[in-house]
Amino acid sequence: MAKVFFSNSSNSNYSNNNEQKSEECHKDTGDSTGHNRAKNNGEGQAPLTVTSLSWFQVLAPSIQQLVVDGLQPYLSEIEEIRLRIKRPLLFRLGDLELTVSKDRKITRRLEEGQLVSREDLDQTLQILSQHSLYAWEDEFKNGYLTIPGGHRVGIVGRAVIAKGMVKTLKEISGINYRIGRQILGCADKVLPFLLKNNRQLYHTLLVSPPQCGKTTLLRDIARQLSNGVEAFDFPGVNVGLVDERSEIAGMYQGEPQFQIGMRTDVLDACPKAQGMMMLIRSMSPQVLITDEIGKHEDLEAMYQALQAGVTVITTVHGDNVNELKQRPNLQTLLQWHFFERIIILSRRQGVGTIEKILDGRTMERVN
Amino acid sequence: MLGAILILLGCSYWGWKISSLYRKRTELFRFLQNGLTMLEAEINYTATPLPLALERVGRKSNRLCQALFLQAAHILQAQKTVSAGEAWQTGIAALAAEVPLSKEESEILQLFGYSLGGSDKEEQLKNIALTKKQLFIVQKKAEEEQGKKQKLCQYLSFCLGAVLVLLLI
Repeated sequence: MAKVFFSNSSNSNYSNNNEQKSEECHKDTGDSTGHNRAKNNGEGQAPLTVTSLSWFQVLAPSIQQLVVDGLQPYLSEIEEIRLRIKRPLLFRLGDLELTVSKDRKITRRLEEGQLVSREDLDQTLQILSQHSLYAWEDEFKNGYLTIPGGHRVGIVGRAVIAKGMVKTLKEISGINYRIGRQILGCADKVLPFLLKNNRQLYHTLLVSPPQCGKTTLLRDIARQLSNGVEAFDFPGVNVGLVDERSEIAGMYQGEPQFQIGMRTDVLDACPKAQGMMMLIRSMSPQVLITDEIGKHEDLEAMYQALQAGVTVITTVHGDNVNELKQRPNLQTLLQWHFFERIIILSRRQGVGTIEKILDGRTMERVN
Repeated sequence: MLGAILILLGCSYWGWKISSLYRKRTELFRFLQNGLTMLEAEINYTATPLPLALERVGRKSNRLCQALFLQAAHILQAQKTVSAGEAWQTGIAALAAEVPLSKEESEILQLFGYSLGGSDKEEQLKNIALTKKQLFIVQKKAEEEQGKKQKLCQYLSFCLGAVLVLLLI
């Protein structure tokens, strides 16, 4: 089964030759496609152990046991763990979904899988919230929370509505662990296209369908721009990061769980538009980085950034530029020719495949 | 003569010891209210999760009620599957080992534990406010009791000592 991931990963477009990569990722994150595993084997390092995994610590003991019994060899490849009530526990590794059967064997036949019980969910919730639902009100409202290690946990249940807004969730029926990855150096291939010269940067839009490594790429861009890129004689710049969904920096109790660079200021869990304007005023960034724009107020914020001479690097969901033109707000941005570079990602040759890089003004390929 | 003095001193000390328990109890209820006020700030202002919040409150609390908060925090930190209510329960047990609590008093604390952590901020604050109010009433009662019985205990034990001395003479 593991073969699948390797063949998948060997095509990965993420550069593997960056020297910083050897310092690599937290042990727990590994990389999304199995490099880490190959590396572990190659360099004779000890294989991953469950105790070094931050996400493992916040699983219910019953689920932990299943992971230990069935998935020990695949630890670094797990991308998602899904608990849905009265349905089999699912582990997603790349494009593959696995479960652990009742006799504790790993299997692809999901119908044989161990079912998730109410107690499993309740326990998981208690552990996730540290017995303190009040401490995570906003998180429950939004349906996700960030755990140590910067991983995200999504939650669904029955919404409790007050004044027409979701107040919280109750009768939790599903929990999804999304294991965040940090791949130092994965931005190496796109960086040359972001630099206008060794001082200035292009306004850049990353376009990508879900799960193509958009956030991972953005994170590494932030890190490298913030630290400076020696290869291009680019000194580090102040980076302002508006991390509305706590995904990029993975802030946990005020500390970034990923490497985001030494000149990066993070506004965590802050609405993008508001956050961008706050950062422009408060931290004088040269670069603003944020995830998934598309609301009307984002336009205003980006206009402000333009006025302030701040470069914006951001992402949007989508397959191609034509699709973006269907959406009013993005269409406006494209008409402004706000973005000077548009990078389109896909999963065609594994997570993080760079389909093409366009000049935002002429819409011609530059790579 | 020396024996008589020793008996007198011993009995007085014993009486003082018992009477000091009354004093301790009133102090305890006052400090518990302080502790809950601190917990209120941890929940309301910084939204600190319970394991850490209880520990912080415990460290800042008076020695008398420290056991309650620290024990509960310790249990929550060490055992993942235990509920906040159960952890609080062990805290109460640790507290009761140091200062005698009546059934009514430990029930107030127990009731507080049942909804600890299990709801949103607003409900937690209501729960704290209610418990503080109840603890205030208990404190008043304990003060009355202290006023009445503290002196009584001291006199009685001294008299008992004196009687013993007289009998022995």
